[in-house]
Amino acid sequence: MKSCDEIRELVGAWGDGELSQAEAEAVRLHVEGCSACAEERRQLDKLNVSIKSVLASQQPIAFEPFWRGLERRISEKRSWPAGWLDRLRMPLGRPNLAWGIPALIGLALVLYSLGVWKEQTPRNNFAAVESIDAYGRNVALLRENETRTTVIWLYQNQEGDNETSGETSDQSPAF
Amino acid sequence: MELSDWELVQKCQLGEIGAFQELVSRYQQKVYLVILGLLRNPDDAMEVAQETFFRAYRKIKSFEGGSSFYTWLYRIAVNIAIDAQRRQKRNLLDFRDNMDEVFEEQQEVAKDPFADVHEKELREKLLSAINDLTPEHKAVIVLRTLEGLSYKDIGDILGCSEGTVMSRLHYARKKLQEKLRAFL
Repeated sequence: MKSCDEIRELVGAWGDGELSQAEAEAVRLHVEGCSACAEERRQLDKLNVSIKSVLASQQPIAFEPFWRGLERRISEKRSWPAGWLDRLRMPLGRPNLAWGIPALIGLALVLYSLGVWKEQTPRNNFAAVESIDAYGRNVALLRENETRTTVIWLYQNQEGDNETSGETSDQSPAF
Repeated sequence: MELSDWELVQKCQLGEIGAFQELVSRYQQKVYLVILGLLRNPDDAMEVAQETFFRAYRKIKSFEGGSSFYTWLYRIAVNIAIDAQRRQKRNLLDFRDNMDEVFEEQQEVAKDPFADVHEKELREKLLSAINDLTPEHKAVIVLRTLEGLSYKDIGDILGCSEGTVMSRLHYARKKLQEKLRAFL
């Protein structure tokens, strides 16, 4: 036999239809024979009706402006950091791809240690032309850093009488 | 023949925006009223309702149908609303301003279900008492009384057991009853 306090804890759930058949029957029998618990039930019923009435009495909202606002929000292009984070979050957030993050970090370390990202020597090709005597003979120097080649080119200004001497050297000429 | 929620969700997952529009039209009003029940401010409720559907749209590919669509949707809505409510409560002055606006709006509603002064007073006291509840207690009251959801569905939405829902409801109703005893 349940006490009034125990029954009052169940009256709300009984009104909601959430008790088992046996519990519901026990509450019903008690409430029918107890004026204090019957009053409790009446107050709860009135409270529920009042709450519903207050909460449901709000002005409804129109669908069209709501949908337009939502559609605008959906189509709005997200800022690039947020967009990229979203794209990363999806594949990397999956449990079966959890190994991907340490694997990526490991791969990056290996590539770094192999020097893939070492800074390349900037191209600094050098060319110079110098007149070496009064007969129109010139010397031209071309230094190409990428292949470490130096070309020394001797020539004369007079047409048809060009003296050309190609010479390659791995070392810079001593000028 | 009208498509079920799950059929519409599957179409959404294939990129059909029209299917999502249909889902929005089915639940927009209900979601808005639940959020309004929690926040009491129509502008905030509208913002949270839109954010709810926006997040649902972004996450819809991850919805696998383990629960019903509306349970999933309400879970998103209630979580955002409870967060918003906590922020709202931190600024008590704003909160009181919102309450005053709500009371004014309530009195302007043409089809007033409360005919006499006694009933109007009850409504004001009731709104005030509901607002004094914790977000978790307010959520169970709104989901049960307004939406008529089962304890199981409420538990799924709030991430708690049916027993916890029952206990929270009992406690919340008791609080409201104590504050409104003179009117009941």
